[in-house]
Amino acid sequence: MLETIPAAERAAVAPRSRSRLSRAAPFVAAVLASLALWIAPAFLDTFAVNVLTRSMIYAVLAVTVDLLWGFAGILTFGQAAFFGVGAYAAAMILGAYGATPVGIAAALATAVAAPALLGLVVGWLSFYHRSTPLYASVISLVVPIVVTQLIYSGGEWTGSSSGLVGFDVLPFEIEGYFRLAALVLVAVTLAAWILVQSDAGRALVALKDNEARCAYLGLNPRRLQILLTTALAAVAGLAGFLFANASGVVAPENAGFLFGTELVIWVALGGRGTLLGPVIGTIAIDYLAANLSGDLPFLWQLLLGTAFVAIIILLPGGLADPVGRLWRALPVGRTGQAAPALAAREAGSATSTAEAPILKVQGLAKSYGSLTVLEGIDLEIRAGELVSLVGPNGAGKTTLMRCLSDGTEPFRGAIAIGGTPTTGLTPNRIVGLGVGRKFQVASVFESLSVADCLRLARASHDGLSPLSQAPTLGLPQAALDVLRMTGLDRLLTRPTRLLSHGQKQALELAMVVALEPRLILLDEPTAGLTKAERTTIGSVLKALTAGGRIAAVLVEHDLDFVREISSRIVVLHQGRLVLDGTVDEVVGSELVRTIYSGGAHA
Amino acid sequence: MLLLLDILTTAAILFIVSIGLLAIFGVLKIINFAHGAWLTVGAYCAVVTAKLGLNPWLALPLAFVVGAVLGGLAEHFIIRPLYRRPLDAILATWGLGIVVGQLITLAFGRDVQLTPNLFAGTVAFGGVEYSAYRLVALGIALVIGTLFALTIERTRLGLSARAVIMNETLARSLGIDTGRVRLVVFMVGAGLAALAGVLLTPLTSVDPNMGVSWLIGAFMLVMVADASFLALAAACLVFGAAQVLISTFVSPILGSIAVAVLAALVLRVSPKGFSRA
Amino acid sequence: MLKHRLIGTVALMLAASTAQAADGKPIVIGVPIGLSGANSVVAPSVVQSAELAVEEINAKGGVLGRKLVLEVADDASGAAGAQKAFDGLIYQKKVDVLISMETSAARNAGLPAVTKGRVPYIYTSFYEGHSCNKNLFVDAWVPEQQVPPVVDAFKAKGAKTYFLIGSDYAFGRGMLGFAKGYVEKTGGKVVGEEYLPMDGSDWTAIISKLKEAKPDALITSTAGGAPNVTLTKQLRGAGVTLPFANLALDEGTAKSMGADAEGVYLSASYVTGIDSPENKTFLEAMKKKFGGELRTPNDLSVPEYEAIYLYKAAVEKAGGTETAKVLEALPTVSVTGPRGTIRMSKQHHAPLTMYLGQIQADGTVKVAGTFKDVDPGDQCPKLQ
Repeated sequence: MLETIPAAERAAVAPRSRSRLSRAAPFVAAVLASLALWIAPAFLDTFAVNVLTRSMIYAVLAVTVDLLWGFAGILTFGQAAFFGVGAYAAAMILGAYGATPVGIAAALATAVAAPALLGLVVGWLSFYHRSTPLYASVISLVVPIVVTQLIYSGGEWTGSSSGLVGFDVLPFEIEGYFRLAALVLVAVTLAAWILVQSDAGRALVALKDNEARCAYLGLNPRRLQILLTTALAAVAGLAGFLFANASGVVAPENAGFLFGTELVIWVALGGRGTLLGPVIGTIAIDYLAANLSGDLPFLWQLLLGTAFVAIIILLPGGLADPVGRLWRALPVGRTGQAAPALAAREAGSATSTAEAPILKVQGLAKSYGSLTVLEGIDLEIRAGELVSLVGPNGAGKTTLMRCLSDGTEPFRGAIAIGGTPTTGLTPNRIVGLGVGRKFQVASVFESLSVADCLRLARASHDGLSPLSQAPTLGLPQAALDVLRMTGLDRLLTRPTRLLSHGQKQALELAMVVALEPRLILLDEPTAGLTKAERTTIGSVLKALTAGGRIAAVLVEHDLDFVREISSRIVVLHQGRLVLDGTVDEVVGSELVRTIYSGGAHA
Repeated sequence: MLLLLDILTTAAILFIVSIGLLAIFGVLKIINFAHGAWLTVGAYCAVVTAKLGLNPWLALPLAFVVGAVLGGLAEHFIIRPLYRRPLDAILATWGLGIVVGQLITLAFGRDVQLTPNLFAGTVAFGGVEYSAYRLVALGIALVIGTLFALTIERTRLGLSARAVIMNETLARSLGIDTGRVRLVVFMVGAGLAALAGVLLTPLTSVDPNMGVSWLIGAFMLVMVADASFLALAAACLVFGAAQVLISTFVSPILGSIAVAVLAALVLRVSPKGFSRA
Repeated sequence: MLKHRLIGTVALMLAASTAQAADGKPIVIGVPIGLSGANSVVAPSVVQSAELAVEEINAKGGVLGRKLVLEVADDASGAAGAQKAFDGLIYQKKVDVLISMETSAARNAGLPAVTKGRVPYIYTSFYEGHSCNKNLFVDAWVPEQQVPPVVDAFKAKGAKTYFLIGSDYAFGRGMLGFAKGYVEKTGGKVVGEEYLPMDGSDWTAIISKLKEAKPDALITSTAGGAPNVTLTKQLRGAGVTLPFANLALDEGTAKSMGADAEGVYLSASYVTGIDSPENKTFLEAMKKKFGGELRTPNDLSVPEYEAIYLYKAAVEKAGGTETAKVLEALPTVSVTGPRGTIRMSKQHHAPLTMYLGQIQADGTVKVAGTFKDVDPGDQCPKLQ
């Protein structure tokens, strides 16, 4: 059964005025921070101004590391390389052309463009279909090593190990650089804050949570990751430009792998995934280091290393974690997410003619080494059909589903969706052809709310705003029906990880339905559900296919359930399609009975 | 001939340095970024042996034991809470490496330490005078490789370790104490790394940072080898050859980053690296 | 000018005669140095010699009656650390002068702060040359002074072909670049020039190339510390017995290499074996002050000691610590220290007496040749 929800939470929709206030809050905070930092040099000595200028530039980098690691789950040591490239580009151009308006413009443009270009290459190298997070980290290690080596071998151009010094810089006093760095830091932090609060920001978290689900919602995880890497490389380059100007010197270690690890240490100590934590952590640690490391260099490293290990093990959320908890315990800190208003959306006009099959499989075969899992599968499915795929364990049902939804699986034969062959297509492109897949174990985004999960399911149709949260959530009627029948419509703000098993299954189904697919693939949608939940899902599926525009393929063990809802049953046995007929034909067949009693294994 | 010997001995040294990392990565699926620190600890065992006036070869068992004990402590207090967070484990072990490096600095100072030669001189081999120690290192690599293979194939520990690699849940349900297997494997891995540290002393300087320069290369080789011990040997040969050939015919600077760059490209093309072949 | 000197003399007399010398506030000397990182091996010896110089000067009444105070800051041997160290010393500790041995990267990184903060900076490390800034003076050697003794000695032994090996960084490339030019100018031939990255530790391929090139002599210029040791060990392991000079080797490192360093040539402006009363007094004073803690004085630490005396002389001549006047006085004053008489008169650099040394089995250096007052050449033509 569904859980009972406390009445207070059902009415969790915040008043409009409150939400407008909280939307303005980051801007107000940013303006106040800018003002405070603008007048700060008047109260600080030259030493503090100098050190903090650099710390704030490093904090800009920390923000980029936090977006990549804390939000998108990409542990990177490579931001140092982009920073270094930006700094060197600025230093080399300013050195050659001087701080003339043209020289400054060229230096700034190159300092942003060159790292962005490198970021694009690194992104392409790091992220591809089936790449692992570890591989991306590996690449992010190699990049600074290579960049540093290039700087060393650069001779006069890069000043080799001595770095570059004595180039023209922007005509500012040290207070001017302090203010410039402060404004850039506030602007970058504010932009990052807006991004992570927006709908597009949820996509980053979704990527970290469950990359496969993103792909099966038609989002292209690779493109998002490459885009993010490129954009943040550009931001790191901008920080490099600032650094080169403010310090008047660039050196190989600014681009090195060790600096990359230092950035990660600062972000970890400050609190990954909190933006403000890394900013404050970076400034505090770098400032402390400037004051302490001169007197006790080894002890300082020892303390920092120990603190880092302890934080990683005991407090993965960094120092921001206890602070955040304290804040949320206060009355002012308890602002819940406002639930979006649900709205029905006209179904798309994509009509499929009844004549052409939605799915056509010809001679499909797949083997792992010498083990043949599927062989000689021919199958056609038309709109309006609800086909159940049955067979004992190991018959190849799940493998078949995988082949249908992922064209990069190595298989022989041909699969076509609506006439388009899928061979070589990644899952997100097959979703684009109108295929929705529900996994056996509910695959949702554990750290997002119900509404966010649904919003992401609509992203391939409606896009995601990088600036704000949309106040309404438009879903196709069928998806709304799923939500209503399962009571999820009253739990829109609830974090997904708090849902029951059945609710997660229902949510995933709603997400798949929200894609408005022509073909729905469901792998044991009723496994582990109560009778009532099963009935609900059954009627949703029947209603969906009854319209005559959608087909569904479902892997199922529960023969009673299959008999109740299917329009057709396909039996797989030892990788072969042994029966394909109406419910009565199949259920009554002798063959099925022998297979299920294990007799046909001989 | 010189080239061939260079390739073989370079591969052998790479193998000695990375085998400990591979053992840990294979079973624990954890990248041990403290590997460089274990190498350093091993090399300082050689320093201590020399200071005590003992036979330099005694440093080998000493380093293995010290490495294993420290590794056991690290596994218990640092690695164990992080099995479910492999990326965090990279960071925690990196932090551990910093701590170990600073502790060594506080104890022994920053200076380059003097270690006795394990095996000096040259031998004539196939028409060229070649460094005797490098040939000895080649032999040691073969011995370590053989012992490692025998341990995996023939002992209970090896069997348990293979079971954990294949299917940890199943292994646990078969009554294998997987926690214990992890502990022992980590100890063996750290011990092997410390052993490698001793074996490096005739070739490199002994100072608190010596391990870091070997870390990235070993790390990339293990990535390419995935969890396979034979694939590691193959990777060492191929990348060792690439390093020597590029250094000899193109530029030693390119040669020194060859392992990292080539390994990254190999992984891009074939994510399972050499283990699939 | 005369008036200033008069005031200085009076102050000196006052200082000498009264117990409380400090009628003015102390003169603060900033020492940004690599306590951690690549230079950390040699840094303690430099700090020790600075401490001795300050103690000696204070014991004799200070400078113009003002005590000297040292402010040491770690620059982590690199650019980022140097920026922090220079900022801290110039803006927080408000030092009157910077006198220090540092890596080239750290020196370069500190120069903008030196210019902005308007303090004199005496750099006491040998380096690849051509670092020019009106606030910067150098009392250690540059390639023009160090390389010729080595090449000339090898040439005298009949060497015609040379092989050069270095670390890929400014000093390594700078030294070998100059060496190559000098070898070719004097009729020799360079048959190979190879570099490995600074943190590289595998010299296998380069050593094989060396063996195949069969040169008459080998000159190396690696990064100090680890690469020095690594290359020497691997060369010895491979049985290389050529005449071998290391342009980046100091006595301390040679000692830690044990038997491997035996026979290696080095060229320096200071070796402990210099036979002069100043050097004997200096070594005895060092031994007395530091006892068992003593780090072997070397070619990096002695220039620091002398630079503090050079600064003292300049302040006394300028009549105060005002930067412009001190900078004006610095090239004109001289001191006679363990290395002989030093005057930074040549484009902010100093002509030096150079010694060719050969490492003995016990790690000491035997002087094999002395070259009087070698000129640093045109380092900074724009600075006179």
